[in-house]
Amino acid sequence: MKRKLYILMMLIISYFIVALPFKVMEIIPGFADIRPVTVFGPVFALFYGLPGCIIFALMNLVMDIVAGDIAWSCIAGLIANFMGPLLFMLYWKRKSKTQPHLKTMRNIGHYCITIFIMAVFEAAIITPSVAIFYPDVDWKLFFNSVVLNTALFPILFGIPLTILMQEELGFKQIPSREQ
Amino acid sequence: MCVTLCWSTEVIIFACIPESVPPFATTCLTSLAGAILLALCFFKRIMKEMRRDGSKLVRRCLLLGVLNCTYNVLYLYGLKYFSVSSGAFTLSMTAVVLPVILFTLKKEVSVKTWVSAGFVFAGILLAVGNNANVGQFWGAVLIGSGCIVRAVFIVILNRYSSEDDPISISVFISGFVGAISAILWLVMEPTGFVDLPWNSEIIASLAIYSYFMVAFAQTLNIFAQKKSTPANATIIYSMEIIFSIIWGTVLPASLIDRTVITPWIIFGVIMVVLGNLIEIIPSRREKVSET
Repeated sequence: MKRKLYILMMLIISYFIVALPFKVMEIIPGFADIRPVTVFGPVFALFYGLPGCIIFALMNLVMDIVAGDIAWSCIAGLIANFMGPLLFMLYWKRKSKTQPHLKTMRNIGHYCITIFIMAVFEAAIITPSVAIFYPDVDWKLFFNSVVLNTALFPILFGIPLTILMQEELGFKQIPSREQ
Repeated sequence: MCVTLCWSTEVIIFACIPESVPPFATTCLTSLAGAILLALCFFKRIMKEMRRDGSKLVRRCLLLGVLNCTYNVLYLYGLKYFSVSSGAFTLSMTAVVLPVILFTLKKEVSVKTWVSAGFVFAGILLAVGNNANVGQFWGAVLIGSGCIVRAVFIVILNRYSSEDDPISISVFISGFVGAISAILWLVMEPTGFVDLPWNSEIIASLAIYSYFMVAFAQTLNIFAQKKSTPANATIIYSMEIIFSIIWGTVLPASLIDRTVITPWIIFGVIMVVLGNLIEIIPSRREKVSET
């Protein structure tokens, strides 16, 4: 129990450390919202399973509240940020006979494709609610922004982070179907 | 390659830090914050490593910290003589210097590495040579010296990373770099810490730099060094030019000095990419020995 609480706290703190500075400042003026914290979606899901997906979705909602961005579309954000990593995790859990790994180029390519599909899925959930509640927002730009944020960061930085955690730091991924 | 990508974004994060924050202050605060962050996350692991042979680890990291600060100071002053793109190309001279250092140390350097270094060198000459002038001589001397120090740093880091725990190395290097920068900062501006224009944006940008560049990229680099050779790693580092030029082309001028793409720069980039491909793609003999 103590260890579970420790892991929970570490996940929450890591999310805050990465997300908060980007809520405070605009990194690239004139560009859409930049959210490198999306790197944690697949990582939390693969290493911590369902609790990881719940924490990722809830923390996204908490950050929206902290930043004062609370709106009805946040509900869609909550669902998308839970369902995306969850489906991603279920897919990898089902696909792999052993521990999922990123040791081969084939697996890395597969990982990139599933992340991209997850990003499109999440954007398809969030964008309609934004389009309904905020008619002024350019929904096409918003959709692209969500897809880019949700796909690019997990691919560019999530893959090395996953390899580092699994191969060098000894973190174990969720058990696969035959384990 | 990911480490190189992370490093190339340094200019973007730096642009968010106001010019009133001196470079030594940025290095000091971010290195110390990164070291604390890593130490908190991996406390047990570091203590275990300290019990194994703590004094040797500290001595090694002190040496690496001093080398790291030395080449950063040389780069800092040397880069003032160059534009962004010329500066980025000149920094890649480490890839050319490193095989020479290895050769001097009587270590084996493959023909492939010499050829790759030759291509990178040709790329640098093509991109920088066309715009070079006599006034940049001292800048070139400073950056050249920085590249030699960095090459020595990479050779030593490569050896230590396979002998000691990379996380502990990263924590101690960051700690020593932070401490040395603090001394330099205090010497240059005794009331520097109090005079810093603290606000949420500065804290946010320093936080991003700490966890991204120090805690993540540096640690990842040490793990990567463990599985690579110094020459291989350095030539891949030279890819930073390509990323820097992409940022200089696509990002707004308010954030980064725009890169003017000239045919010379394009040829230079092509040569650097070719140098990288030669080094990365395994030769037939390497494939056979792997199997």
